[in-house]
Amino acid sequence: MRVAIDTGGTFTDCVYLADGQLQAVKVFSTPSDPSLAVMDGLERIGVGASLELRHGTTVGTNTMLERTGARVAFVTTAGFEDTIAIGRQARASLYDWFAPAPVCLVPPELRFGVPERVGAEGNILRSPTDDELAELVGRVRTGGAESVAISLLFSFANPGNERRVEAALRGLGIPVSASHRILPEFREYERASTTVVNAYLAPRMESYLLQLEERAVAQHGPARVDVMQSSGGIIPVRFGAQEAVRTVVSGPAGGVIGACRVACRAGFDRIIGFDMGGTSTDVFLADMTAGEAQLTRESVVAGIPIGVPMLDIHTAGAGGGSMARFDAGGMLRVGPESAGAEPGPICFGRGALPTVTDADFLLGRLDPETFLGGGVQLHRERTEQLMRECKGPLATAVDFATGIVRVVETQMEKAVRVISVGRGYDPRDFTLVAFGGCGPLHACSLARSLRIPAVLVPALPGALSAVGILLADTVRDYSRTVMLPDEGIENLSAIFAELEDRAAEEFAAEGLVGTACRSLDIRYRGQGYELNVEYHALSPLRSLETFHALHRRRYGFAQESRPVEIVNARLRMIAAGEGYAPGKRALVRGDGRAALATTREICFDGNFRASRIYRRDALVSGDAIEGPALITEYTSATLLPPDCSAGVDGFGNLVIAVGGGVSE
Amino acid sequence: MKRANVDPVELAIFQSAVHSIAEEMGAALRRTALSPNIKERRDYSCAVFDSQGRVIAMGDHMPVHLGSMPMSVQAAVDAIGFAPGDIAILNDPYAGGTHLPDITMVLPVYVAGREQPAFYVCNRAHHADVGGAHAGSMGPAREIFQEGIRIPPVRIVRGGEIDRDVLSLILLNVRTPQEREGDLDSQIGACRVGERRVHELVGKYGLERIEDWIGELLDYSERLVRARLREMPAGEFCAEDWLDDDGVTDEPRKIAVRLRFNPDAGELRADFSGSSAQVEGSVNAVRAITLSACFYALRCLLAQDAPATAGILRPFTLTTVPGSIVDARPPAPVAGGNVETSQRIVDVLLRALAQAVPERVPAASAGTMSNLTIGGIDPRTGEAFTYYETTAGGMGARPGLDGISGVHTHMTNSLNTPIEALEYAYPFRMIRYQYRDGSGGAGQFRGGSGLIRELELLADAQVTLLADRRKFRPYGLQDGEDGAAGRAVVTRRETGNESELPGKTSLRLGKGDRLRIETPGGGGWGRRSE
Repeated sequence: MRVAIDTGGTFTDCVYLADGQLQAVKVFSTPSDPSLAVMDGLERIGVGASLELRHGTTVGTNTMLERTGARVAFVTTAGFEDTIAIGRQARASLYDWFAPAPVCLVPPELRFGVPERVGAEGNILRSPTDDELAELVGRVRTGGAESVAISLLFSFANPGNERRVEAALRGLGIPVSASHRILPEFREYERASTTVVNAYLAPRMESYLLQLEERAVAQHGPARVDVMQSSGGIIPVRFGAQEAVRTVVSGPAGGVIGACRVACRAGFDRIIGFDMGGTSTDVFLADMTAGEAQLTRESVVAGIPIGVPMLDIHTAGAGGGSMARFDAGGMLRVGPESAGAEPGPICFGRGALPTVTDADFLLGRLDPETFLGGGVQLHRERTEQLMRECKGPLATAVDFATGIVRVVETQMEKAVRVISVGRGYDPRDFTLVAFGGCGPLHACSLARSLRIPAVLVPALPGALSAVGILLADTVRDYSRTVMLPDEGIENLSAIFAELEDRAAEEFAAEGLVGTACRSLDIRYRGQGYELNVEYHALSPLRSLETFHALHRRRYGFAQESRPVEIVNARLRMIAAGEGYAPGKRALVRGDGRAALATTREICFDGNFRASRIYRRDALVSGDAIEGPALITEYTSATLLPPDCSAGVDGFGNLVIAVGGGVSE
Repeated sequence: MKRANVDPVELAIFQSAVHSIAEEMGAALRRTALSPNIKERRDYSCAVFDSQGRVIAMGDHMPVHLGSMPMSVQAAVDAIGFAPGDIAILNDPYAGGTHLPDITMVLPVYVAGREQPAFYVCNRAHHADVGGAHAGSMGPAREIFQEGIRIPPVRIVRGGEIDRDVLSLILLNVRTPQEREGDLDSQIGACRVGERRVHELVGKYGLERIEDWIGELLDYSERLVRARLREMPAGEFCAEDWLDDDGVTDEPRKIAVRLRFNPDAGELRADFSGSSAQVEGSVNAVRAITLSACFYALRCLLAQDAPATAGILRPFTLTTVPGSIVDARPPAPVAGGNVETSQRIVDVLLRALAQAVPERVPAASAGTMSNLTIGGIDPRTGEAFTYYETTAGGMGARPGLDGISGVHTHMTNSLNTPIEALEYAYPFRMIRYQYRDGSGGAGQFRGGSGLIRELELLADAQVTLLADRRKFRPYGLQDGEDGAAGRAVVTRRETGNESELPGKTSLRLGKGDRLRIETPGGGGWGRRSE
């Protein structure tokens, strides 16, 4: 049985297929040891033998954001110890005289140099002696490092020296991350930075993942455990533990895959994803008319450059659990502190500080009877009383709640602007795919302020990241730097065969069968960046034609006569994920009457309006509903303001037409 | 006055869209160029102009190009009767350029139904050599004719086809023609990327709406600046600072400014009349550079996300004396005006601003780009090479914050050349690259440290240094101490002797010789506690 479990700040979502239908279970997260919630979820589902657990973890993200990673030592070529802090010597904000200094994950006393050197052609000019290596090991040990990152100059061209240093440091018994394994590419700073992040995360990630696997096996017998990578591909847990840097945005990557799959099937190919959870909100833009969701090799996570491929996701530090307060200047602020799972919002009965969820509750937007299937009791009087106590200068608790929602929605709007408007896209050309426990509650209001005409709320919106993880393919990339001239393209079959053998072997060891996709990174000789084009085993020269055409399209010129360089041969091994292709149901025009539960007052823009409450699981394809209404379900709730109307499509998604102009 | 028919949300979308065109042109340039100075260090700028040549968007690239790109467009329009499919090229500092290595291209964008161009897209890139007396074209010269080939505004592309006559004339006059040709191709490509994206924008929104938005965008920038100028204290604030020398004589050269704020009108005047006359050496700045430095300082006084458009300069008046070091006349050499004098102009502006609003102004940063150019024959290929790089120094301390160490400040923001790119492209070996500890000025808040970068030559080469802040150190403010002066040291392989180089010099070094550059630290802010 295959189960996908995605850890969030407040809830841990578990998703699996039963009789071809997606099922979801939500349990409270256990931040001090996230694996407890995972085990709890498995228990509730009642998985039997032959468990296949796929996990989306926040351990990496949280460690970066909270700066709680290991004490990392950085080892590089002597004379270049500071380069990890100097970076690229440019400033991030061109016109800000008061920008704070950039952070470096390696403290100054843990930057070590080794007397060694490799030349630009990969020739070893000097190797460290055994004595020098022994001395280095001693200094790293004395420094109290918990993890080591090694990145020597030109190790991507010849890893010989780096391997020796790596072998010597392995004796320390702490995790060792070597740059020629993590990111064997030129540009020493980006490679070193990526390696340092790996080392920074490695101890926590390794012990967490391996312990999770151990527990799963202990309780459910022989189990296979996989992890979601930031690139949207699944890898076996053993690789995830070694290459922690690849799972920094593990869970959110599941959301991208889930949203793209659902939206594509529903006929929407340009989407803005809006995943509002308990502690943070992730937004992304996917233009599937131009291919898959975009990967970037130039990510910056919590201020640190990371060179391994990641889905392009932007995170805002506010979610449903974010706490609201008046700051010293009397301004209402929401987040980034979150009530999380413990103590949680006021309305859950334990927290004492107002959160976005409490505001939504006071405004009538949470349904006490169906909230988490009735699994969490919502405390009205307690919420009203504590919200009144915290309302500051505002007249009523409802005014306070309205203010909290407006502030948090402005933050969401800003995040969406960064990834759409800020990159030259017009939001009006996109559909907002809303998910996460809180996304559908705030989606219509957000869409309206960004003038996005339509909102899609998929089935199981509160667990879509887990759905994406369940459906994602297992993907592992293999590459070799070849540096060949044009004519070398005819001689690549042996190199690809070798890569494929290695990939097939690794997949077989994990009991997987993969399909290989081959590609080449090509550039004009002397350029610093490549274009990736498909490699055709039977007619390799076609790759060159594709390269020239793509170069012209993207950069405004091409010259067939100019010499090219074939830089990397790449092989991507893919084992397809869960086959899930629900049939499209016929639309039967209806008004959702059967799903109508009750009518209640919900507050919109400061005014309470009688609104219909629907049960989403009783809606059928073809039903159409007019706002104001609230559509509740186990994992989330969708708020339909006046002037908005929702229809249920053939796959059970809510498709909302957002009406009503913006008040100027 | 706000235009009644402009929707603020649509305006915001337009502003970002047109800004992203400039950024996208930059990305195309970086991803296709051949020379490390462009592809790795990003020493370029891209911008979009309206039909009147007013800048409406500029990528977050090099501030020194802020005020000078509009003059390139103007010079091209004045000199060339543009037709569809044309692209102009120019580098003459006395006709729209800044210094000769910066080659600018201007593409007029034609829109159906209009005879004249509706927009111009423009990019400028620093080429590692444009000929002249010294490899790298940044050497100590006495006239502009020694600094390289001068290109007035001419067509490099006519009716969509590259003009081979013009191109071959340029390429014959430079030391590394293949690399130049590749970089020029990239600039042409980047222009076309910009043109395509402008057409998409026009296709989507229509020219009339866009022209409304442009008008409003410029007005909006102006309103932002005026609002900020209304908060400034009324009065005159004067400051001066010095360049060590002009590279020909030892005599210090003065940059002086008189700032006059008129908060009632929301206006600012800057008068540089007290500055030295233009000099024999290459540290002369053309007026465009002085304007860029003022544009930069004004832009910094605004909020972070304010757009850098022509509207910013409307409430600003600049006075310079023709024939002075901040408004040079031909045939004065100007290579260093762009990179050294520009920084000193900013230092002077900040020093004057610090009198007006002391809590909002940092102490002096390194104040020199420590320009290094090296040229010779690469023994690995037998072909000529030319290398150009600037090295960052310490940032001045800020009220409330230490200065950042080893970071480019003010008029430049180029990256370093990765060592792994540098040694692949040039016959050098880097020996070290580290912080220059203790070089930041002490104070309540400390200036950032400079850097030390040392390389060994693997071939005989002509080495040229163009640097300043050897005598006049980066100043501290509010009793903060000055940052350390910069220096450069050569170690000869044969003798092992070390000798210190002057700030502005060009010399022949041999294979195995080493050159170490130590850049200045930033000034401190506030009195150091005992």
